[in-house]
Amino acid sequence: MAKWGAIGCVGVLVVALVLGLWGAGQYNTLVRLDQEVQAQWAQVENVYQRRADLVPNLVETVKGAAAFEKDTFTAVAEARARVGQVTGGALQNAASDPQAFQRFQEAQAGLSSALSRLMVVVERYPELKANQSFLGLQSQLESTENRIAVERMRFNEKAQAFNTRRMSIPTVFFAGFFGSRFAEKPYFKAAEGAETAPTVQF
Amino acid sequence: MPASLAARPAALVLAALLAPVPARAAEAPIPPPPRARVTDTVSLLSPAVRQSLERRLEDHERRTGHQVLVWIGETTGDTPVEEFAVEAFERWKVGRAGRDDGLVLFVFTADRKAKIEVGYGLEDRVTDLLASRVIREVLAPRLQAGDADGAVTGAVGALLAAIDAGGGGPGPPSSAAPLPSRGAPTLGPAQKVLLGLAVLAFLVLLITNPSLAIWLLVSIASGGRSGGGGSGAGSGGWRGGGGRSGGGGATGSW
Repeated sequence: MAKWGAIGCVGVLVVALVLGLWGAGQYNTLVRLDQEVQAQWAQVENVYQRRADLVPNLVETVKGAAAFEKDTFTAVAEARARVGQVTGGALQNAASDPQAFQRFQEAQAGLSSALSRLMVVVERYPELKANQSFLGLQSQLESTENRIAVERMRFNEKAQAFNTRRMSIPTVFFAGFFGSRFAEKPYFKAAEGAETAPTVQF
Repeated sequence: MPASLAARPAALVLAALLAPVPARAAEAPIPPPPRARVTDTVSLLSPAVRQSLERRLEDHERRTGHQVLVWIGETTGDTPVEEFAVEAFERWKVGRAGRDDGLVLFVFTADRKAKIEVGYGLEDRVTDLLASRVIREVLAPRLQAGDADGAVTGAVGALLAAIDAGGGGPGPPSSAAPLPSRGAPTLGPAQKVLLGLAVLAFLVLLITNPSLAIWLLVSIASGGRSGGGGSGAGSGGWRGGGGRSGGGGATGSW
């Protein structure tokens, strides 16, 4: 009798051990994928910041040749300010918080469209096309838009990896225990009409 | 035990679902990693110039460790050149792992487009501004004038000069050294205990359900096979070192 009891105890212990190891593995995988998403989010913020940093110089340069386009400059300045508001502390966990994420994306989309209007205005001023510093800024903006597209795509890939794992069958039960610690990640969505060409057209 | 029989196909299906989506790759036919530093699929360059560029880039890599490639193709098809460049860079793994200090100059003759794709680690030396000026002021005008040899040589020269000019920074200690090979990870005491427990659990599994245990072993072993090796710097051939890029650089047309 005592012998069977001992075997039972060992059995329970082994089962608990295996379950514990399994749980630790699941947890660590989720943490790793979550960290990858966070790191990629930092990249996304970097490249958006890069664009925001370009804006003042770009506006100044364009102003030199196109001083009459006040409305466009105001729109860009306002969109830039709104981006500044979202990139503060509100973004601490934007990669996990769909609402913060949404606000971030809307503000950035606002700046995107203000900038593309600015670039349409520029078309009317051929002398800008010969201005070296404008050409430099224009190419920097182009490259930055390209970086944004790349980092957004990679963010979506990382978020998808996390979400797939988080929603897969054994893990989904496990992840539920941790509440919002392992909340599903939001995705960047292409802006309307921008599905094919993420770069600004000049 | 039926569970172990069911586990196999289910795991395979899961693996297939989790695998990177191959659809995008089919959309944009990214060529396999080139064997040479200068690849000219349309014979834009004269053979002598191609060889001297190859030697120059090889020498530069041996000296500084930076992998610089030239890829001349005909067209990127429906794929935007920026997307093509990023995906090719990612697939080829240009530059050293961890340093991400690679650079590729893409030229597409039928599209009349060029793209300089800069690895993360070279972004401070080859800035977007510099890359766009190299295309606008060196590459494009000379290509327009029909001087393909001069265009590519000049562009590569300007890019290498920019890389060398900023070389005071995090230059590699011994330039010709191959990738630092990833040694066995060192384990802390807690990890050793966990590892021991895992081995114990595996032994238990081996006794209770041998087929599942063996399947697990095989799948773990095949999963660990993905690590990249060192870059073979010698013998003229080229191999990617594991570098990455994020769309930096510039695009231009002529």
